[in-house]
Amino acid sequence: MAEGGDVDWELSKENIQPLRRGRAISALHQALSQQQDGPNSAINQQRQAFESELRMYDGDDPLCVWDRYIKWTEQTFPQGGKESNLTTLLERAVTRFSEEKNYHNDPRYVDFWIKFAENCAEPLDIYRYMQAQGIGVTQASFYIAWSEEHENQGNFRKADLVFQEGFKKCAEPHDRLLQFHKALQARVSRQALLNMEKDSSDEESKQPERVSLAALKHRGKKRAIAPVIRTGSAIKGLSGGLQSNSAPVLSNVSNSRLVIFDENKTEDAGPSEPKLESWAVPPTSRAKENEPKPEKWCDIKMPQKTKYGHTIMAPPPAKPTFQPFVEESDQPPTMTPCKINPAVNMVLSARKPSKEETPLKRLQDQQQQHKEAKAGKLQEQSMYCKELLLSGATEFCFEELRAERYFKKMVQESQEAGTAEKQSNGCF
Amino acid sequence: MTSTLKGITLKGSAEMVAEFFSFGINSILYQRGIYPPETFSRVTHYDMSLQLTTDPKLKNYLTNVVTQLKEWLFECTVQKLVLVITCLETNEVLERWQFDIECDKSAKESSAPREKSIKTIQDEIRSVIRQITATVTFLPLLETPCAFDLLVYTDKDLVVPDKWEESGPQIIDQSEEVRLRSFTTSIHKVNSMVAYKKTDSA
Repeated sequence: MAEGGDVDWELSKENIQPLRRGRAISALHQALSQQQDGPNSAINQQRQAFESELRMYDGDDPLCVWDRYIKWTEQTFPQGGKESNLTTLLERAVTRFSEEKNYHNDPRYVDFWIKFAENCAEPLDIYRYMQAQGIGVTQASFYIAWSEEHENQGNFRKADLVFQEGFKKCAEPHDRLLQFHKALQARVSRQALLNMEKDSSDEESKQPERVSLAALKHRGKKRAIAPVIRTGSAIKGLSGGLQSNSAPVLSNVSNSRLVIFDENKTEDAGPSEPKLESWAVPPTSRAKENEPKPEKWCDIKMPQKTKYGHTIMAPPPAKPTFQPFVEESDQPPTMTPCKINPAVNMVLSARKPSKEETPLKRLQDQQQQHKEAKAGKLQEQSMYCKELLLSGATEFCFEELRAERYFKKMVQESQEAGTAEKQSNGCF
Repeated sequence: MTSTLKGITLKGSAEMVAEFFSFGINSILYQRGIYPPETFSRVTHYDMSLQLTTDPKLKNYLTNVVTQLKEWLFECTVQKLVLVITCLETNEVLERWQFDIECDKSAKESSAPREKSIKTIQDEIRSVIRQITATVTFLPLLETPCAFDLLVYTDKDLVVPDKWEESGPQIIDQSEEVRLRSFTTSIHKVNSMVAYKKTDSA
């Protein structure tokens, strides 16, 4: 069947992240078929090649290697995820060129930043940072991405402001910016229109609703006749009927002794105070349904009359011989039996809000370091080519670098030898 | 006699294929966002829920096309139906959905119905439409407002009807092509394919 191989992508369509630029179908097939092979050595080889190219590149456009590497990663790992290393890669790429001003408005570099921001928890912070650093401020794509983020968060006003900023900075290409701005305006107005329609339909539904089982005021003096219209003022009060709202009505307890347990209510009160309920039995681990063994009944005696006429009562059992079942979720939290002294029981404690390291923070730190290094205040100095080892998405070791250099030299030498030979051939 | 046991005639086949195009085109227009999603309403057909446009103009246009197409299918003179998605401003072709139709012309002579149950055909059609839906996984985002056009390739000697005009093939240069599934009613065979602008990564 000719189309047999083509269904691969359809079978794993849920695991393919859609890309803005679309995917090359051949790369997709390759990626999906290699996944099934297990250790994807071909992919690793390609990645290694990119990594070494990053380090060995000595042309005048180092960004181009990164660009190819990132695009390759996107196409090769359709499901994204950790093993794709995309986030690390983007972060490295972004930091690598953060000092090189001539790249700051390179569309490719701005594209890295936008992708990086989309992978971050707080994209808006990144966009603000970019603006402050002057990265991408003349690129239309920067403003478009920023505005889209605002729009996603429902802030149409700010989304519009971002475009205004872009126009002010004369971002290029102007047509593209204009077109996206128009599209935004169209979306906003359509949204507003839809909302208006929704509002008007809401008002219609606000007509009084008949409450089921509500007590009605009767009409007629001699004979009570239920009114025809059973909404609004015709209702006596909601005490007897089913409550359509979930709000607990505790004032109605007067005519019924039954207080209905409302778990939402108790949760509000917080678990701080243990509720004293006479029937609550401290739960034990054995308190499970059906676990108590059946006992003989033949030992249990009916009270009998003696010949003196008194009744001999069987001594009442101090405790029930079985454990009444108590549902686990019903345990009052403070009454949990604990053998360990509660003062010492600090094995697990609530996690404190830790200082989470965001990518942006790392970036700023690095910049700080860089500045310090320039000022000559650097505390540490590595006496090996640290940047080279760590520059890619994965770490290299010295030997790998040395091998790369060796192979490069070999190739060069063989080429030189080849040309020399040709030349010598030509002479004769 | 149940419907599953019935064979299929040329007329029935033409109708079925035309119906597929009607649903297929609607699906693509909805899926690719050519028309705003709120102008579509959901219907259940082929045991799956599909989106049909409620825009009166578009509806009218599609009915015209499909009726004409049915005629051609019945005459076995149609070779291809192509849905082209173009950028509204630059008129650049961004996507090209091509449905190649192979007609078995011998069905015109013998009116005997072919042995293929409607259920099997509908199953095949369903998987084609499913695949059309699934193509979002690799198709590029259409970032600009787009328009669409329908092209029909017929046999050469056919007279062009009033409402139709001759047009170019509108082929995308540097395109990526993906074959989709095909289905056959045993009289008409439809092969689907989508072409889109190649990514600039390679």
